[in-house]
Amino acid sequence: MNKLKLNYTSLSFLPILVCIPLGYQLLTNIHFGGFILFQEFLISAFNPKIDNEIIINVINRLNETILIGFFSWLVSIIFGAIFGILSSNIFYKIFNIPNLFCGIIRIFLTMVRSIHEVVWGILLMQIYGINFSVGIIAICIPYIAVNSKVFAEQLETIDYKIIESINQINAPKFSSLLTLIWNPIINTFKNFGLYRLECSIRSTVILGLFGIGGIGTSIFLSFQTLNFRELWTYLWSLAILIILSGLIFKKLKFKTTNKILSIFFIAVFFITILLSFSYFLNFIFNNNFENFNSVSSLFKSSSDLGLFDFLKLILETIILSLLSTGIAISLPPLVIGIFNNNTSKTFIKFFAFLLRLIPTPILILTLLTFNNPSLSLAALTLGLHNAGITSKILFKNLDSQDKRNYIAMKSLGISKKTSWLLGLFSQQAKSYLAYCAYRSDIIIRETAIVGVIGSVGLGWQLQESLSSFAWQEVTMVLIAYSSIAIFGELINGKIKNSLT
Amino acid sequence: MNNTLLELKNISYKDENNLILNKINLKINSGEKIALLGKSGSGKTTLLSVLNGTIKPTQGEVKLLNKNFEELDRKQKSKITTIWQDLRLIEDLSAEQNVNCGLLAENNFYFAFKNLLNLSSFKKAHKFMQLCRLHNSIYDKKIRKLSGGQKQRVAIARSLIQGSDILLADEPFNNLDPKLITIIKNLLLENLDKNNTKKSPKTVIVSLHRLDLLNDFDKVIGIKDGKIFFNIKRINLKKLHLDKIY
Repeated sequence: MNKLKLNYTSLSFLPILVCIPLGYQLLTNIHFGGFILFQEFLISAFNPKIDNEIIINVINRLNETILIGFFSWLVSIIFGAIFGILSSNIFYKIFNIPNLFCGIIRIFLTMVRSIHEVVWGILLMQIYGINFSVGIIAICIPYIAVNSKVFAEQLETIDYKIIESINQINAPKFSSLLTLIWNPIINTFKNFGLYRLECSIRSTVILGLFGIGGIGTSIFLSFQTLNFRELWTYLWSLAILIILSGLIFKKLKFKTTNKILSIFFIAVFFITILLSFSYFLNFIFNNNFENFNSVSSLFKSSSDLGLFDFLKLILETIILSLLSTGIAISLPPLVIGIFNNNTSKTFIKFFAFLLRLIPTPILILTLLTFNNPSLSLAALTLGLHNAGITSKILFKNLDSQDKRNYIAMKSLGISKKTSWLLGLFSQQAKSYLAYCAYRSDIIIRETAIVGVIGSVGLGWQLQESLSSFAWQEVTMVLIAYSSIAIFGELINGKIKNSLT
Repeated sequence: MNNTLLELKNISYKDENNLILNKINLKINSGEKIALLGKSGSGKTTLLSVLNGTIKPTQGEVKLLNKNFEELDRKQKSKITTIWQDLRLIEDLSAEQNVNCGLLAENNFYFAFKNLLNLSSFKKAHKFMQLCRLHNSIYDKKIRKLSGGQKQRVAIARSLIQGSDILLADEPFNNLDPKLITIIKNLLLENLDKNNTKKSPKTVIVSLHRLDLLNDFDKVIGIKDGKIFFNIKRINLKKLHLDKIY
């Protein structure tokens, strides 16, 4: 019997095996109580509510979303760059500072980004109550840490010999640093910064579902009242916003040679730093703590969570991450490979867009209409949402790939599906897996969102503990979350390095 | 009068398990033009890196103006400029911005900022680029878009604009055609200050492979397996010396 050879192509398909246990549990949990609701949900997509009242509401809610999204993006990208510099080796080489400080900052940032913005949001809402600022701060905290990692990675690509040569000019240290980091920072901003604005808007929507405001809150309220036509009006308007912003970003070209534009950006940079500090200080000192009167309440609270239950929750979270990652990795190449024609491609692209568009809490609530809450359902939701994202990357890479191998194989009489697999996908498999390794980092963090809604894992426990002000439990859950995410990041980092 | 500018005392350098420089003693006087000869991998580049302070020797002392390298301040260290074999230019900056980097040492942070935003004056940079026979059409081109020879001359212009007292050059004539080699050699051995006027003798140490370029040098140092085999006046150089190191 031929043995299965493990290569990048087979490794891209193998994780689909998670669908066997997942499918079994989903089938046993199926119920028919909500099929009519689900049907109504689908039909409403083609018949959204359109009247003056809702259009005004959409505009107002989108304004709020854009404002929260834009400000959190601006602050997080600027401070991300600053922390990126502080957590890169180049800073310490130029200033001859021991690398120990770099390590300390990196560990701190890893811990901060290991906790999802929704968790930060729920936590801050419990402490400060619901307000606009909480949304911005909740997004900024992990985003600064995530952005700093990307900036630091780019700065690490600077050739050490160039650092040596600039050092050898013996210029003032800050002049040397600025000269070396200028272009990597600008290029990272161009290639990555604008994409982060889209992420920031998506995060604002998800936080909105938890009450922060903006269109997310309207989406959630429409869902709660089962007003699906209204819900789809909000979803389609969000889709238009995302498509429009994507088109604008494609048109935008930043020329660093444009002096006036450069001065404008630098002014924005410094003004944002100043305003952020004053805003943050104002927030800290002028806000009454709603439920968290002092740090001592952390120690006064007790925990009823047994060790066994706690370990079970950790295990559930890990399994949830693995199952979701399996779906996110294998579903896109499998579906694209099987339905390999132009009409199907358009349909898959549209479906993937919908999976990205519909926030995961809404997706899981929709699926709950015909399935009982379970780990598999949460994994399916998270997996499908992320498959929407990985398929976008896969389509983009496949579309831009040289197709000569594929054409040559087809001309030899090899079937279309095999030609696609060996002539096209096999060349993308390695980079696709590397991206999936990065994506699985995010999936681990996102388990918190589906956990809260889908009654699974640590996310659910966090919500429970926060509702009962059991701060000790909250701390334990956060530490556990952070540890899983950091551990996952370490493993994925190793996988990514071996693939790139 | 003792006019020793640079001094190496019993210098050794070990990279992992390889001994790259082995107990080197060397005195370089002010105004000397020295050619450094030796096979590839003989230790020439490492010796130049020790001389400019980018590599700390595992043993021995490097002294500039009778002071240990660690004791020198930034201004004193900037007396040395280097043309690297691998050029070490910043690929994403334009040719003129790279040349202006040579002026970072004598200017403040604001100058670096203006240089990156193209707001600084490039007059001086252009002057030195002209001297290196760089055509003005490439001044604002990014380094990655230049040919090997053009990059080489940008690196030379960046070093010359620093107006340092000591010039270290590691195979600076790579990628250049014979006519340009003559022009650049004269330029390196001439003594220009920042305003492109002659000044007091400059000390030059150049590592070379081409023996026909040895004219105009005062001294020749031969290096093999990390050891100095000879350190003699150019006029005393014989085939016998070259046979020892090649």
